[in-house]
Amino acid sequence: MLICVAALLISSGCTQQSEKIIFGDVGWDSMKFHNAVAMYIAETAYDLETEEISGSTPVTYGALKKGDIHLYMETWTDNIPAYSGDVQSGELIELGVNYDDNIQGLYVPRYVVEGDPSRGIEPLAPDLKMVEDLKNYKDVFTDPEDASKGRIYGSISGWEIDEIMRKKVEYYGLDEFYNYIDPGSDAALSASIAGAYEKGEPIVAYYWEPTWITGKYDLLLLEDAPYEESLYRQGKCECPSVRLTVCANPQFVKDNPEFVEFLSKYSTSSELTSKALMYINENNAEYADAAKWFLVEYDNLLDEWLPSDKAELVRGELLK
Amino acid sequence: MHKLLTVFPEDIYIDIKAPIDKFINFMLQNWSPFFEAVSKSLQLFLNAIGSAVNAIPWWLLIIAVFFASYKVSKKISTSILYSALLFFIGVIGLFDMMYATLAIIIASVIISLLIGLPSGIVMSASKKISIFAVPVLDTMQTMPSFVYLIPAVMLLGLGNVPAVIATTIYALPPVIRLTSHGIRQVDVEVVEAAKAFGSTKMQILFKVQIPQALPTIMAGVNQTIMMAISMVVTCSMIGATGLGSEVIKGINRLESGRGFAAGIAIVIVAIILDRLTQGVFKKNE
Repeated sequence: MLICVAALLISSGCTQQSEKIIFGDVGWDSMKFHNAVAMYIAETAYDLETEEISGSTPVTYGALKKGDIHLYMETWTDNIPAYSGDVQSGELIELGVNYDDNIQGLYVPRYVVEGDPSRGIEPLAPDLKMVEDLKNYKDVFTDPEDASKGRIYGSISGWEIDEIMRKKVEYYGLDEFYNYIDPGSDAALSASIAGAYEKGEPIVAYYWEPTWITGKYDLLLLEDAPYEESLYRQGKCECPSVRLTVCANPQFVKDNPEFVEFLSKYSTSSELTSKALMYINENNAEYADAAKWFLVEYDNLLDEWLPSDKAELVRGELLK
Repeated sequence: MHKLLTVFPEDIYIDIKAPIDKFINFMLQNWSPFFEAVSKSLQLFLNAIGSAVNAIPWWLLIIAVFFASYKVSKKISTSILYSALLFFIGVIGLFDMMYATLAIIIASVIISLLIGLPSGIVMSASKKISIFAVPVLDTMQTMPSFVYLIPAVMLLGLGNVPAVIATTIYALPPVIRLTSHGIRQVDVEVVEAAKAFGSTKMQILFKVQIPQALPTIMAGVNQTIMMAISMVVTCSMIGATGLGSEVIKGINRLESGRGFAAGIAIVIVAIILDRLTQGVFKKNE
C-alpha cells in the first residue's frame, strides 16, 4: 500500500507533460489486460507514450479525478460508491462500456458438491446448490478460528458489494451458522481460494468473473433468487452484471479527442476477457504479449474500434 | 558489441520464478497435514492468549498501566498521562479492537522471545554460526512482508495465525542480534575472573554474561515489541482482526477519520509499551 502511494506521489510530480497517457491499474488481471491492449494501440496507432500506475481503488480513483491518472479501462462502477455522482457532476467522463456480462457471488470449488475421484475427493456437500443451502453445511466449511461456526470468505471491505454480501448472509439467516470474514485484501482472498483448491479443501468465498482464478480453478457459483432491482441492495437476490466502463479525467478527454474516440468504441465481453486471462495463465505470458496475441486472434475488433488507417497501422506493427 | 555495454545480456537469464512456484505448490499438495498441525497449535496458543487478555477488565488494565508506569517513571504525572491515553482509546470506541491487536502482538512477542533469546545466546558463542545467521536475519527484516504473506495464507489459511507468523518473522531479528551483541560485549576480564574462580561455562553464561548483558538484551526485547506493533496494519491485509483492520477499512472506504482514529490508538499502544519496557531496562542499568 505504502509503495503504491509512494509510486503515485513520485509519478504525480512528473506527469505535467500531457503527451504521456497514464492508465490506472487497480490490481486485478482483467484490468491489467485491458490496459495492455489499449496501451498497445495508443503506442502503435496514435504514437502516444503510455504508463501504468498501480494502487488500490480509493487511491487511484482519487488520482483519476485529480488528473494524475488519466483513465480506467475497467471501472467496477458498483464497487465505487462515488462513481455515479462524479459522472453526473462532470468530474469524470464515462466514455463507454467495456463489458457488462460479468458475474459475482459466492463460489465453492466444484469438488465440494460433485467430488473429484481423480484427486480422491469425496463430495462433502452433495446437495449444495443455492446460497441458502449453506445452512446445512456449516461443518463442512469450519472456521479454523471458531470451531462452532462455518466461515464465509467475504468481499473486501469498502467495496459496495461487501455491504450487499453482509446483508445477504443475514437475510438467509447464515450469520447464525457462519462467520463472515473480511479477507483484508484482494490478494489474500485469491490466495485463500487457491490454497484451499490446491489442497482439495472445502471453501466458500465471494469472488467474481472473469478472473484467472475462475479460469484456472473449477469453481461453482451458488445460485440465488433471480435478480430484481429493488431486492438486490438488500442482498435478497443474485447480483446483476456490473457495468464495467471506460472512464477518464475530463481534461484528458479534452486534450486527446482522437484517442478518446477509440476509447469510447472500446468494447469486449466477459468471454473474450477470460480467454485472454486463460492465455496468460497457461503460457505464463506478460500482459503486453497477451494483448498482441488477443489483437491477432480477434482481428475484427480492430475494425470495430479504429478508423481503417489506424487499424492498418496496428496490423502492420503486429506483423513485425 | 556495444549492445552488451548498454543492455544486460538476455542469454544468461535464469528462471527462478518457476522453481519457487513449484516448491510452494509441492508444499501445498504434500505437506498440508504438517501445516495444518502448525496452524492448529498456533491457533490454540493464540486463543489462550486472547482469552487471557480478554479476561482483564478495562478498568483493571488502566489501573495496571497507572501503577506500572509509576513504578518505572516515579512520576505521578506520567502515570496519569499514560492511563488517560489508554482511557482515550476506550473513549473513541476502540478498546475491544485494541484487545484483539494486543493478543496478536503478545503472542508474536512471546514466540519471538522463546526462539530469539536461545538463538542469540548460541550466536554469541560461535563466530561461524553468526556468519551464517547475520544475512538470514537481514533477509527477515528487509524482505517485503507481502512476498511471504501470500504463500503463508495459502498454507495456513487466512486470519490471525499467518499474522502471528509474519509478525514473528519481522520482529525476531532484533532480540537475536542484541542478545548476541550484549553477551559478546561483556568485559573479557570479568569472564576471565569468573573462569579463574572455577566457574563452569553454564555458570559463566547465566551468572556473569547474561546479567551483565541484560540492558542490551532488554533493548532488543523493546525493539522486538516495537517491530511487532509496526506489523499490525500489514497483517490486517491478510485478515488479522483489531486496530489494523480498522485502518484498512478506513482507507478502503476513504474514511480518513476512521483510519486516523485507529492509527492514533496504535500510536498510543506503541508509546505505552515502549515506555514501560524501556523503563524496565533502564532500571536494570
